[in-house]
Amino acid sequence: MQRIFQINGEETECWLSHDSSEMILNTPDGAIPCQLDPTGTPGGYMLRVRGRAHDVRLAAGPDVTFVHVNGKTYAIGRVDPAERLAGNESGAASDRLVAPMPGVVVSVNVKPGDQVEEGQPLLVIESMKLETSLTAPRDGVVAEIPFAEGDSFGLKATLALLAPEEE
Amino acid sequence: MRRIESQIDTNAPDFKANYAAMSERLKEFHARQHAARFERPQRDIDRLARQNKLGVRERLKLLLDPGTPFLEFSTLAACREYDGVVPGAGVVTGIGIVQGREVAIHANDASVKGGAWYPHTVKKVVRLLDVALENRLPVVHICDSAGGFLPLQHGVFPDRYLGGRVFRNQVKLSQAKIPQIAVVGGHCTAGGAYVPTLSDYNIIIEGTGAIFLGGPPLVKAATGEEVGVQELGGAVMHTSVSGTGDYRAATEEHAFSLAREIVSQWKRTPKTIIETAAFEEPYYDPKELYGIIPKDRKTQFDMREVLARMVDGSRFHEYQPDYGTTMICGYAHIWGYKVGILANNGVLFNDSSLKAAHFIQLCNQNRTPLVFLQNITGYMVGREYEERGIAKDGAKMLMAQGGSVVPKFTVIANASYGAGNYGMCGRAWDARTLFMWPQAEIGVMGADQAANTMADVKIRQLQREGKELTAEEIEAIREPVLEKYRRDVEAYTSTSELWDDGLLDPADTRNALGMSISASLNAPIDDPNYGIFRL
Repeated sequence: MQRIFQINGEETECWLSHDSSEMILNTPDGAIPCQLDPTGTPGGYMLRVRGRAHDVRLAAGPDVTFVHVNGKTYAIGRVDPAERLAGNESGAASDRLVAPMPGVVVSVNVKPGDQVEEGQPLLVIESMKLETSLTAPRDGVVAEIPFAEGDSFGLKATLALLAPEEE
Repeated sequence: MRRIESQIDTNAPDFKANYAAMSERLKEFHARQHAARFERPQRDIDRLARQNKLGVRERLKLLLDPGTPFLEFSTLAACREYDGVVPGAGVVTGIGIVQGREVAIHANDASVKGGAWYPHTVKKVVRLLDVALENRLPVVHICDSAGGFLPLQHGVFPDRYLGGRVFRNQVKLSQAKIPQIAVVGGHCTAGGAYVPTLSDYNIIIEGTGAIFLGGPPLVKAATGEEVGVQELGGAVMHTSVSGTGDYRAATEEHAFSLAREIVSQWKRTPKTIIETAAFEEPYYDPKELYGIIPKDRKTQFDMREVLARMVDGSRFHEYQPDYGTTMICGYAHIWGYKVGILANNGVLFNDSSLKAAHFIQLCNQNRTPLVFLQNITGYMVGREYEERGIAKDGAKMLMAQGGSVVPKFTVIANASYGAGNYGMCGRAWDARTLFMWPQAEIGVMGADQAANTMADVKIRQLQREGKELTAEEIEAIREPVLEKYRRDVEAYTSTSELWDDGLLDPADTRNALGMSISASLNAPIDDPNYGIFRL
């Protein structure tokens, strides 16, 4: 899948290539030769395809291009295939917050039993002159905060534990 | 290339607090820059008028193409030296556009101590000529200097990178077939006489310009001969009798139009071609950087948010996004030029160092210039990391970085501590340009750590002498040490000492980089060539 376009919200796969004299629109249903020439009016073009000529007006924006042809306007957006096909990167979020490096706990913002939301700061650690705020990996209830303010911890120590999610 | 998706909430209280704090800092920064450029004691302004001379900024206006950018270096050089009375170290340097081509400019500021050379003046000029050599930029010298500042001659004259280096670099430029022109708009005395005479072309302004090894008072003292400035080294004598000068200009305006005409005669060498894309402004407003940089330097922030406000279209192709995540590597465009970016997102670990080394090699292989964005507190310490060979992996990163053949550019965005500064192309590592943000800090370690270490040494020494110290006494020892160190690591100290090429408003970073990259392409890029990697 080299290119994905969204036409009025609907995704289609196609790919525009060059021949020496004309453009070729490659679609899953086959290749369609076509030719697009400016007419001189702002945004005005003549589209020749399958032996017919169509008046076309184009307005190109950074994200969407509007195409007016045969009395209708189409919004055409380009979808980045690498982004579209990446899938859901995060599987089940972990219950455990693990120390990325040895350090000291600067402050603890929650206690066991607290309901937390994904992204909510749980505690702040300091290591190598840098303070890092560690946030909840998912919504849930705090089960354990093993270290208190001022405590030192080692690499990969558990810094916070959420209660297991019930299926 | 995909657009970075910003996670920043510009209405969040943190963002607003950071924005306010940065705006306050920048107000001070811009005021200081303005003062260094334009504010002078009235008597100095009067003296220039009496001598019928234009100020250095007016001269630059006559020289440069109207409406083109001028990338000025080290505007605040010497701001913490000489009681602050030598703004800009008495000289203006930078890269500007003359007749459509990039040139390096070295211009004495005669409104500062008659343009005398202080130690920092020499450092600034030598740096500019290094920039010209590295990037193969033609040089325009605008000479108007009282000569070396005698009370500090030991800091101006004898050492390897002092006065002589200015002339040595001029010779090297000529050897490298890089043209130079000098406009003599004041006196060029003693060593200063070699600036115009080592230039391929020079222009002397009638009435104000003069060149001599010894001025009239010195001649009188040495031989008893009495001679006036004009007969001894004026425009008429040099352009018609000695051949020391090439062109005689009737006025300042005449001199600079002649200089422009001469620059337009120079042979144009085609620039190095690298990958480019159509210019695009960042999708996210660069001014939002003010709200992203935390008020407190110790607070961690995501450098991707900075990249999103610095690169074309906020587009970034990230390399190895899930490995060595404290080191962000990837490709982007700045002013349409493709660059490889290395940006710190935490401490450097073994994996992040290896990733950096590998990415640097990739960029050298395909001739992609490198941009280093520093926010680095150091390489990780501790038993675990030493056992994994952190020093050896750091060495690989240094070997790759130091051995790079592509142009490198460094921005110290926040912290620049310890060996992290080396790995991330600090001053010693030949970045073509190196800029710093006003809130950033540079030092062998953080202020608190250093102050504690230094205070501990003192306290233990006193304890050995049998003195038991109270908490207040310990604080009394620690506080002044901390205060001095805090000042020493500030960006203003760095820029005063020319450890950087100037401080930048973060929102201007992309333009400074764009100009630097463009200028760097006047020089060819060699084939990759490395030393030995400790594998």
